[in-house]
Amino acid sequence: MTAHPLYFELPEHMAAGKFLSKLSKKIDFQIASEQYAIKTFYDSFDWRLYNADILCELNQSKTASHISLIDRNNGECLALENQQDVPSFSNQFQEGRLKTKLDSLLEMRALLPLCHLPHQIYQINVLNKDKKTTVRIKLEEYEDLGSRISLQPLKGYEKAVGRVSLLLEKSLELAPTQSSILNSALKLQGRKAKDYSSKLAIKLDPELRSDKASKVIYHDLLKAIKINEAGTIADTDTEFLHDYRVAVRRTRAGLSQIKNVFPDPVVAKHAGFFAWLGQITGATRDLDVYLLNYKQYKSALPESLQDDIAPLYAFLKEKQKQAQSELASQLKSPIYIKQLLAWEQYLKEPLPKKGCSSAANLTIKELADQRIWKVYKRLIKEAEEITEYSPAESLHDLRKTCKKLRYLMEFFQSLYPVDEIKALIKALKGFQSVLGDFQDYEVQENSLKKFSEEMMANKVESNTFLAMGVLVQYLDTMRNAARHDFTKQYALFKQEQNKIAFKTLFAPQAEVKKS
Amino acid sequence: MKIIATYNIKGGVGKTSTAVNLAYLAAQSGYRTLVWDLDPQGASSYYFRVKPKIKGGSKELIAGERELDGLIKATDFENLDLLPADFSFRNLDLVLDARKKPTQRLKKLLHPLSDSYDFVFLDCPPNISLLSEAIFETSNILLSPIIPTTLSLRTLEQLKKFIKESKLKDLQVIPFFSMADRRKNMHKEIMATFSEKHPDILQTAIPYASDIERMGLERMPLGGYTNKSRSTEAYQTLWQEILDAIK
Repeated sequence: MTAHPLYFELPEHMAAGKFLSKLSKKIDFQIASEQYAIKTFYDSFDWRLYNADILCELNQSKTASHISLIDRNNGECLALENQQDVPSFSNQFQEGRLKTKLDSLLEMRALLPLCHLPHQIYQINVLNKDKKTTVRIKLEEYEDLGSRISLQPLKGYEKAVGRVSLLLEKSLELAPTQSSILNSALKLQGRKAKDYSSKLAIKLDPELRSDKASKVIYHDLLKAIKINEAGTIADTDTEFLHDYRVAVRRTRAGLSQIKNVFPDPVVAKHAGFFAWLGQITGATRDLDVYLLNYKQYKSALPESLQDDIAPLYAFLKEKQKQAQSELASQLKSPIYIKQLLAWEQYLKEPLPKKGCSSAANLTIKELADQRIWKVYKRLIKEAEEITEYSPAESLHDLRKTCKKLRYLMEFFQSLYPVDEIKALIKALKGFQSVLGDFQDYEVQENSLKKFSEEMMANKVESNTFLAMGVLVQYLDTMRNAARHDFTKQYALFKQEQNKIAFKTLFAPQAEVKKS
Repeated sequence: MKIIATYNIKGGVGKTSTAVNLAYLAAQSGYRTLVWDLDPQGASSYYFRVKPKIKGGSKELIAGERELDGLIKATDFENLDLLPADFSFRNLDLVLDARKKPTQRLKKLLHPLSDSYDFVFLDCPPNISLLSEAIFETSNILLSPIIPTTLSLRTLEQLKKFIKESKLKDLQVIPFFSMADRRKNMHKEIMATFSEKHPDILQTAIPYASDIERMGLERMPLGGYTNKSRSTEAYQTLWQEILDAIK
């Protein structure tokens, strides 16, 4: 690969024609084609392609329309296919390199258009003495974004590309550029790449008063709720609702776990609203999960029964559609809008000079230490009490405590050394996931039983019920495996290294000294 | 990766134009295609406007000191690359002879490219020599253009006999008529009798045509400067027939 820059920007005043006339004084070239085209960039809402250093673009002209995946760093084309329209999901593409690549990156997320960029495109061949093309130049003249040049090296002519690059930079004084036209287009829209992530990244000043810091946290969560609302209502993909619910759950956990920073009546009023939100979004999410798991369900069956499970998919799909449309109308209802606005308003209001309680007047670092330490101790106590014979409920309760601890640690992570808190969150996540699996398999087992009763009314073939029975058996096996795994995962979590880390990071000084 | 050698013991029968034009058609339909110009005259390199020169010449090439991939040049056409000739290829026989298992050499050199190309066309020099044997060992298909003359019948028979004696079971020989002149009664007669005797000869004949001859002036494959003519159509049907024959 050449070390010379391959991308250039034309100065604002320089039109394509002027550039070509300047170029013609320096080198021999031929314009292979000139046409009007539209470039549309695509990515998932959470920038999965961009995060993997990939750009997805659809290029449409009168004569051709193709979609391509481009390496964001070196411009290399990773996959290209003729395509008129871009399907929403990777599984709707035809088999091939493009699909394989998209499948692994996007998973269940939809491909959404980011911007449409009309432009005039010139394909220019740089020729040598034998009139052989040694470098291809693509000149794209955009309406509001200026013009861009990219050099396309040809195999065996690497030196020529270096010469042309040098000529553009030194003789024609063009500015090399690294960033894609996408970045300029986003800037024009007032956006920037990677402007959404489902991960929490709240920066807190450790000295900030607790109630003020809490508002910073809730404000961030409210932003996530609002940004995922439209996609949830439109059912663009399952992850809008997922992220929406996570933000709601985090807000609820905050209201119950960052205790006493707001007056009780305020907390009671809004906590009720968020509990309601959790409740009205639950059914749709559960059905989304069954549909996402469907492939796994199917492959868990013996081959002879795999086709018989199809009516379950149709049933789930129909049920999801109903639940989703009910949910959408709830999220458009005046009562929802009014309560969300009230919460937003409360977060905007200035706080009294003195906090409403002693907790509210602590610095956020002090409060975070207290809360995390307390919940951590509770978690250990609950976990220690679990034996082989404990009922499922104790594991469910433990899972809830785990979640509370995890949310607290995530809210406050900016107050602690990055590597240490990240390592502890990771350890907790591992432990939490075995508890999660245990509960999920149980819930799925029970739901399947309930669905089969409802499906009885639909005149479904007996083999479908047979397949569902096998599935329940499979889920039961998986649930037992998760139950069995509990001891091992808990041992991993409570290992000495983690214990010490929790203590050092969160325990009051007196307790640390004592040990 | 399928390796197709355009070969005939005789010279001037249309080997190069066959390799260049069929490779062009393969590339146009999306196959990743390479032409390897093995003829020291460098005619196919000339048609693609690429200098007939490779670093290190035939010695280093056959010794495997340079990977073929580093010597390949992109042509002006999508999906179509060229491995250029070099004047030192006139000594390829001697260089091969100095190696152990000389007839296996080309196969070994081409092996690393097997994931990069769907079709490789070997544009071979005339003659029957150690190089030809190496080509036979490497190729999947021996595509042999024949001018409809009695002498050509003899060379085709010689070739088939040689291949049979060399026990090259996996090599598929596909002959077809090239430079056929419809105005010559002799051509017509010979084509009719030949086809009866050799049913493996393809149906399509490439005509003797001035637009094919113009390749030397235009310095590109026929399809690069002619949209539709009797010759372009002939190459297209020939390519289709070959694709069907090798399936």
